[in-house]
Amino acid sequence: MKTIILIILGIVIAPVLGGLIAGLDRRLTARLQSRFGPPLLQPFYDVAKLFGKEKVVSNFWQVFCAWIYLIAAALSVGLLFAGSDLLLVFFVQAIGAVFLVMGGLSTPSPYSQVGSQRELIQVLTYEPLLILVFASIFMVTGSFRVDEILAYEQPLLVQLPLMFIVLGYALTIKLRKSPFDFSTSHHGHQEIVKGILTEFSGPYLGIIEIGHWYETIFILGICALFWHTSLVGCVLLIASTYFAELIIDNTMARMTWRWMLKYVWSIGLAMSFVNLIWLYAG
Amino acid sequence: MLPMMLVLAILLPLVAAVGCYFLRVSAIRSLIVLATGVVLAAVSLALLGQGTFTYSPGTIVGISWDSLVTLADFALLFVMLYYAFKLKNQMIKIFVILQIIPLAVFEMFFVDHAVETPAIFADSLSLIMVAVISIIGSLICFFAIPYMKEHEEHLHLVKSRQPQFFFFLVLFLGAMNGLVLSNNILWLYFFFEVTTFCSFMLIGHDQTQIAVKNATRALMLNALGGVAFVFGMIWAYAETGSLDLQVIIQAGPMGGLMLAPLGLLCLAGFTKAAQVPFQSWLLGAMVAPTPVSALLHSSTMVKAGVYIVLRLAPAYAGTFLSQGVALCGAFTFLACAAIAVSQSNGKKILAYSTISNLGLIICCAGLNTTWAITAAIILIIFHAASKALLFLCVGTIEHGIGSRDIEDMHGLYLKMPRTAVITIVGVLTMLLPPFGVLLGKWMAIESASGDMFVITMLALGSAVSLVFWARWAGILLTAPLRDKVPAESQSVLTRLTLTALAGIAVVLSFFSPMLYTKLIEPMVGKSFEITAGVFASPMGVFAVYPIFIILAAAFIYSWIETKKSATDKSSATYMCGANVPETGVQSFIGPMNSPVELKASNYYMKEFFGEERLTLWVNFVALALIVLMLGGAL
Repeated sequence: MKTIILIILGIVIAPVLGGLIAGLDRRLTARLQSRFGPPLLQPFYDVAKLFGKEKVVSNFWQVFCAWIYLIAAALSVGLLFAGSDLLLVFFVQAIGAVFLVMGGLSTPSPYSQVGSQRELIQVLTYEPLLILVFASIFMVTGSFRVDEILAYEQPLLVQLPLMFIVLGYALTIKLRKSPFDFSTSHHGHQEIVKGILTEFSGPYLGIIEIGHWYETIFILGICALFWHTSLVGCVLLIASTYFAELIIDNTMARMTWRWMLKYVWSIGLAMSFVNLIWLYAG
Repeated sequence: MLPMMLVLAILLPLVAAVGCYFLRVSAIRSLIVLATGVVLAAVSLALLGQGTFTYSPGTIVGISWDSLVTLADFALLFVMLYYAFKLKNQMIKIFVILQIIPLAVFEMFFVDHAVETPAIFADSLSLIMVAVISIIGSLICFFAIPYMKEHEEHLHLVKSRQPQFFFFLVLFLGAMNGLVLSNNILWLYFFFEVTTFCSFMLIGHDQTQIAVKNATRALMLNALGGVAFVFGMIWAYAETGSLDLQVIIQAGPMGGLMLAPLGLLCLAGFTKAAQVPFQSWLLGAMVAPTPVSALLHSSTMVKAGVYIVLRLAPAYAGTFLSQGVALCGAFTFLACAAIAVSQSNGKKILAYSTISNLGLIICCAGLNTTWAITAAIILIIFHAASKALLFLCVGTIEHGIGSRDIEDMHGLYLKMPRTAVITIVGVLTMLLPPFGVLLGKWMAIESASGDMFVITMLALGSAVSLVFWARWAGILLTAPLRDKVPAESQSVLTRLTLTALAGIAVVLSFFSPMLYTKLIEPMVGKSFEITAGVFASPMGVFAVYPIFIILAAAFIYSWIETKKSATDKSSATYMCGANVPETGVQSFIGPMNSPVELKASNYYMKEFFGEERLTLWVNFVALALIVLMLGGAL
């Protein structure tokens, strides 16, 4: 019963929080660029407006894929809140990722096609890092279960400082921030056509936007695990991490996917190895 | 009752094969294949209900079965030698002679024939294998009936070669059943050789130059495996004085001396399971007609290799050999998944993914915890169903569009909606939760998490496999598509087998918790608590039923939404507004105002994952790992 309540709580709260974070993101970004920026609730207005638009599709599978993307993202957040298995939650999230790519590939537009292929490369880049983060959490706490991990008495950050940085790479890719925003950009500051989202419009684009809020919460939730012992520490950690993301986003230009794959895999694996060896030695 | 069932499982395919060969009427042959398949499937399920047993067949008309097997074994080796001379291949000659002479010496001077060794032993692992072989293998044989008819029409053959084809195809099932049920290691060796020979004949079936070349390579590498098997077997006998596989396994943990023979037997398993650096024979096997590829890759042949490694797992638990096996398997998993990314030939993608998944199973055997062994068995079951399905889909697509290149499958939904959807189902069951393959992968990754090198390779391998699967599923849908597409026509047997395999892959996944409690747990020991269809241990949870039910509801809901969208406005494909204005044309206005047709293709990332780029290094590293594994055992 408690599990079900937690799942529902997660599914209800996550999009609200995710939307607010997106709004805050836009305001802070604006300030960093010496602009005033939109109101905090702008993302909600945007999505509401999208839902009011006429429905236009090019392939009916787009509709199917958009919905599955949203539901899988919501389910993964629900499972995370309910204290399920980290790896399982991640694989459920991957259902959404795969269906988003299938939706993008379902239309012949070259922009959408290239965007989807790049999205796959992004998944390819962050997935091994996330699995290694989970494995390292397991090595510290002895479990993949979020409920067991929360029972661990020390912040994970103490033993896994480098893994947190590795997670940061995955976070940047997942949030679609520069320099890793190849498939589509979170802010439209360096692309004209919207990559994988090119052919999604109106309510279906709104659905994907809400799915993206869920994913934001999903990955920030995993960041939060690194300082689960204190609420203040947890909020501090997430806030500073997100702010660092904004700085990176605003100071970097989009690079090439070849560079991303080489750079993130080599740095990410090197840091993971060092951190795992510390664990073995300790 | 039991002897009858064993006869049906092992000898019925032989009789049916002979029937297929001599009764050269297509209707009778089809009937024989269908009847054999149905009986095999029923017998395999009955055996599964039977539970663990040991059985010695004794004698037939005064001759012991053991001597018959020995006789057949030498006959088979000499047939192989004949082919080696016919093909003028020095390596095969050497490898076959290296089996004949030691085996003859072994049989004549070493083996104590007075000692009774139970020939047959079955536990859950064997019985699950029998069910996989008999059910999935039979479905593939059913598929082969209409497929081979079309295949020969394409080739314009004057004289049908189907009798020979079905002879080996059906015989293969019996040999596999024999292999997994054998307890006497000499019997195991005999069936091992029969599968080698059958696959050689089936790969070379079309008798084109390339088919003969690849069949020769398959025979050579598997004969090498046979040599490793013979020496492993003799060495094991020298250490334990027994031909009884169970005795050999129990002798494993006693001393370091047993590790070398076990290592050789594992090596034999590696060649059969086409692990790197022995992968080339399985990649070459795709020249054969599709049912052969499907059979070799899913329920038979390669699974024999995996079975041997897994069967011996308790014997080398906790040793350096075990770690070596895990590393070799994990490396194959990563390397082959990576090369698969650079491929556009559908069958080749499937071949690399098979080798990769077998690597994962072998890695699980090497990890050797109850959790990992459970993962290996689950992977064997579900990989067989999904992979057989995908091969048969590629075969169907190839007959439909005349190509097996995935670049030609863009928008397949417009031409073959039914096959396209079933292919997507196949891909999703290989890739996503809550399906069985992913359940196995989840267990594998969680049980590998203590080992830094293995977990890194599994993490990377799992990510690269997502790339080639997801894009394949996606491009099948690429089209401006608003109206319902009428389903293509298919022969009854084609539709039946594809639907049945897709059904098995999906529905059996739902029952994975029951499979675990009924079959796997009693054999390997308990590692999960199952409540309400949720695998739970202090280390992790996998909620099969809840996720299955939620996702099923999600799919239905999304489909209803999709139906509702039928009235939505259609948009033209986005091409920066430069679309050619006529409707139904996917072109944009290019230079000189001339129309340019849209064309998009996959990223194959050849500079990272190219076959030419990686193969040499992969083989080199794999060889080093095998030397490490065997050297540590010696």
